[in-house]
Amino acid sequence: MSLFRWFILRSLRGDLPRTAVTIAGVAVGIAVVIAIRLANASSVLGFETALNAMSGRTSLEIAGAGSGVDEALLAELGWLREYGLVSPVIEGDVLLDPHGAAGAEAELVRLLGVDILRDRPFRDYPLVGGADAESLTTRQFLALLTDPQAVVLTEELARRRGLDVDGAVDLISGDRRVGLIVKGLLGRDGPAEVLDGNFILMDIAAAQLALDRLGRVDRVDVRLAGGLDVAAVEQAIAGRLPPGLTVQRPERRGAQVEKMLAAFHFNLTALSYIALLVGMFLVYNTVSVTVISRRAEIGMLRTVGTPRRAVLALFLGEAAALALVGCALGVPLGWLLAQAAVRMTASTVTTFWVASAAQVPPLAPEDVALAVAVGLSLALAAAIVPAREAARLTPVGALRDEDGLSPAGGLPGRQVAGAGLLLAAAAWCATRPAVAGLPVFGLLAVLAVVFAAALLVPPTLYVLQRVRGPRRWMPVESELARTNLGGAIRRVSISVAALAVSLAMMVAIAIMIGSFRETVAYWVGQTLQADLFVAAGRQSPVGARATVSADVETALRAHEAVLAVDGFRSVDLPYRDSLIVVGAGRFDVMLEHGNLLFKAPADGRRALAAALGRPAVVVSESFALRFDATAGDDITLQTARGEQAFRVTGVYYDYSTDRGLVVMDRGTFATYYGDGRPSGLTAYLTAGADPGRVRQEVLAALGPDRPVFINTNASLRRSVMRVFDSTFAITYALEAIAICVSMFGVAATLLTLALERRRQIAMLRLLGAERSHLRRMIVIEAVVLGMVSLGIGLVVGFLLSLILIYVINVQSFGWTIQYHVPLGFLLRAAALVVAGAALAGLYPARLAGRFHLAERGADA
Amino acid sequence: MTRTRRIGTGTAAVTLLACLQGAAPAAQQTEWRQARPDYVLQLPGDHASHPDYRIEWWYYTGNLAAADGRRFGYQVTFFRVGVDARPANPSRWAVRDLHMAHLAVTDVDGERHLTAERLNRAGVGWAGAATDTLEVWNEEWRIGLEGATHRLQARENRDGFGVDLHLTPAKPAVAHGSDGFSQKGAQPGNASHYYSLTRLATRGRLLLDGETIDVEGWSWMDHEFGTSFLEPSQQGWDWFSLQLDDGTELMVYVLRQRDGSIDPHSAGTLVDAAGRATALDAGDFRLVPGRVWSSPASGAVYPVAWRVVVPGAGLELRVEAAVDSQELSTGESTGVTYWEGAVVATGMREGRPVRGRGYLEMTGYAGPPMSEVLR
Repeated sequence: MSLFRWFILRSLRGDLPRTAVTIAGVAVGIAVVIAIRLANASSVLGFETALNAMSGRTSLEIAGAGSGVDEALLAELGWLREYGLVSPVIEGDVLLDPHGAAGAEAELVRLLGVDILRDRPFRDYPLVGGADAESLTTRQFLALLTDPQAVVLTEELARRRGLDVDGAVDLISGDRRVGLIVKGLLGRDGPAEVLDGNFILMDIAAAQLALDRLGRVDRVDVRLAGGLDVAAVEQAIAGRLPPGLTVQRPERRGAQVEKMLAAFHFNLTALSYIALLVGMFLVYNTVSVTVISRRAEIGMLRTVGTPRRAVLALFLGEAAALALVGCALGVPLGWLLAQAAVRMTASTVTTFWVASAAQVPPLAPEDVALAVAVGLSLALAAAIVPAREAARLTPVGALRDEDGLSPAGGLPGRQVAGAGLLLAAAAWCATRPAVAGLPVFGLLAVLAVVFAAALLVPPTLYVLQRVRGPRRWMPVESELARTNLGGAIRRVSISVAALAVSLAMMVAIAIMIGSFRETVAYWVGQTLQADLFVAAGRQSPVGARATVSADVETALRAHEAVLAVDGFRSVDLPYRDSLIVVGAGRFDVMLEHGNLLFKAPADGRRALAAALGRPAVVVSESFALRFDATAGDDITLQTARGEQAFRVTGVYYDYSTDRGLVVMDRGTFATYYGDGRPSGLTAYLTAGADPGRVRQEVLAALGPDRPVFINTNASLRRSVMRVFDSTFAITYALEAIAICVSMFGVAATLLTLALERRRQIAMLRLLGAERSHLRRMIVIEAVVLGMVSLGIGLVVGFLLSLILIYVINVQSFGWTIQYHVPLGFLLRAAALVVAGAALAGLYPARLAGRFHLAERGADA
Repeated sequence: MTRTRRIGTGTAAVTLLACLQGAAPAAQQTEWRQARPDYVLQLPGDHASHPDYRIEWWYYTGNLAAADGRRFGYQVTFFRVGVDARPANPSRWAVRDLHMAHLAVTDVDGERHLTAERLNRAGVGWAGAATDTLEVWNEEWRIGLEGATHRLQARENRDGFGVDLHLTPAKPAVAHGSDGFSQKGAQPGNASHYYSLTRLATRGRLLLDGETIDVEGWSWMDHEFGTSFLEPSQQGWDWFSLQLDDGTELMVYVLRQRDGSIDPHSAGTLVDAAGRATALDAGDFRLVPGRVWSSPASGAVYPVAWRVVVPGAGLELRVEAAVDSQELSTGESTGVTYWEGAVVATGMREGRPVRGRGYLEMTGYAGPPMSEVLR
């Protein structure tokens, strides 16, 4: 142990900047892994926690296909009582109107509508405040709610919004403003616990009215009588339900959401491990440098009889120490990052319900254990090669090569061969199909390419070193830099590899996102043909339940410039353990005005025409890929009339959701899912009409009490692209972190090089070299390293981008992306990297400028 | 002429209405129809529901025996209480009426009293009452008419008890008050329309611990409807319905004031073997409480043995609970607790021994005074 302290800790302390960078690298890697892990867990766990609180003691729930259960069917479900208690439920998301209060924003809240007479055994509603609130009988509770304007909300929400019992509060439900009176406050228990208190309770009748869902409930909860077997009853109920109704356990919805997010989470996780990879390279670098710069001491140790094993343990110990400190810093940092990540990923999840439920869970022992296990094992794996090398040193060999700068050997053939093997493996992996909907092999291919690239760095440097430019054009400093680097290929190649890998990932991701963005922009341009888009409420994500009122449609149609109006409706539907979106539009209007981009058949109009008036649909590309359906196939969907086969007449491009979209004609939809108000409208205007003006005029006709949102074509396109960019913000952030860390790696390497060459540098000074010459020499070294990394990064990045776009993306999301290189971005990034490398060389350069031969004596 | 001022059978309902009345805004009272003296009761039409009136109930009690001699009592009551005569909300779930039902079975030999309740809005038809015939239901519990026979079905699956009974009137209905118009208090509007079937031959099946038992015996049915009944000064009441083996029936009750005195409106009805009814004033009878039983659940102390004396009829009876523990508590749903149970009567009428069975109801022994609950 004292040996370790003397040998390793002293070394780490002696080269503090490099140690710090390595630890920072490991810490950031660990932090990113932990952050993504927590962020992923928080969206699923958050949803499940909320789901549990909302389902209360429900054992089974009866749901209808699509838009809930027709309440006329409920009267025939009296027999459910044989199994236990029964409670019909309505749920919805509404906005709490700020009432013009300064600085206040409309807040989304979860509305639960129940028949309190039946629901009390299911869920706890702890009323607080007011006389006898705690001992309220069910009958008194009902009396609180029977008024159609009555609402009970959480104490927390009331405090936040400055509300009190008997105070007025306005809700915005779709495009309707609903005035309510607060009749009671709920304490923190049961459903009121979810969503930070953004929960309101209403009577089922009032909820139907507020949500504009008269005649329907969302589901019927069943709480089984004691002693009944849930699975057996589930089967029995399934056998007795009329067509169109299904029975399931509440947990099932959690599983569906988990499945829905699985691909997204998997890719984020994979990305986070790339960040860890950078940390691993840094550990390798540091241990290697220790081994190389301490050859003499190692030889000494060996001479005095220290066994090889002890030497090995010494260096592995160094890696472990670095990893442990990195973990200790990384875990809390990861928790902090998770908070940011949750906010950033929230915008990518299409349902508010899932997104806003997300809460970062507290750090669990498993998280710490995972961080330590992963960090430690990766660090040890990274250190094993240099450590073994150290252990293999013979005393004589070590002493002979005193300055540690072993001259470059021949072209390292073994590395080239290894890289070739890895690349072959990558090529094979890239052709494998997805595993359970996850691009496991695609990511393996990425990993193989990354390691191949790392292996190829020393041979590349070796080849480059052999290439001499025309001497007279090159300043002497660059020749010196070339020689210096050539002499330290083994050492610098680690830093170069780390930076190159980070850059490769950045390039790949930039190309993928750039291609994706270009594709989406093209798709938006082609498919968003209508002039005006009306949405009920602020947000209208796919599958949203808010509807556009009839008078809005009337006002729109009444405008003289409006040629045609189409409504879009959609419902979430379970399909093979996942949740898809079933949408409806008017195919006749789409045939005349719209322009969906079709993948198959090429003539989309034929597909639309073929689907008119019969049980046929067109499906999105992601649906087709995910569920293996093509034009001509039949798919079976749950409908309000029971299971029904639909013929797929076409596959169209869609980038609005990766969940899979099935679109049918409005008439077909009405037949199988019931008619209802659309969730959005599109309007086509006469030629020459100004959409902005029509929008203003329609809004003016509707008056301020219709909180409806109308986008013009241009503004909708802008907002689509804005959503797109925010979706990928987290990806960019992760990559920026990795690149920063590897930049530090470059700086640390140069510093080490400079420190080791003190004598040599001082000699150069003696020979007449100016400080500025030395500084320039080191900065040139840095720039060369940066450019080499960049070059390798670009080549590998292009390779990786192919895997990302054509393998991983297709397998996880099912999107066709047109390959597009964001040249401008890459050029800017390249310039930044070179400038960054030069900056990274500045500190070692200034340090080297201060070296004197006289130091030698003090140093010895 | 029969005159009955306060109708005791209403008291069970009254107890439960307590909370409901308090809940209805005063303004809505005017939207409901008031009971009027010129209304003429007609059966079987008036067995049906009267949704124009705010409060209505159908009330059945009875004493039954199995072939092996085991004795049982039962109580099934359906209540309809108007909340909002014309709800503004077009939803089917809008609460116009509240429907409640209570079921109790007394296992005399097992000394057990099993209870269950149902509380529902009409909603999608999970509870309701027909307006053209006797058909009242609350979830799977129901009463209906099959010819002249009443069919009564109520069971609680959870504990495996209930009744499925056929009840055939052995005597015509007795209309209380003035042809069924029953003035309830000093306020002119405080009145109801009210009649009873005092002797219903009963046979059918009783479910206990999941076992189906063939039973027969006698039942008593009340049906009453009106809009406002109650006055605030009562603590509670003690009410008896007795079917005697000489073919007569007796119904008497006292209203207990909060100060402990007996309300002068306490009254009763005597029905002779031919079905002729005679009204009894407070001065015409005496109810003397005897042995008491303390409820371990509510802490209330109920007299479970009584002396009932009607001097004018030469009648003196000793009435004793068939089982002491016959308290019904609605707990969280409406918060009302009362004692309602099967009783056995023995005594003398004009020198001849007489025996009988019946039901006793005692309210205002647990929880706040009725006057507060009623407000």
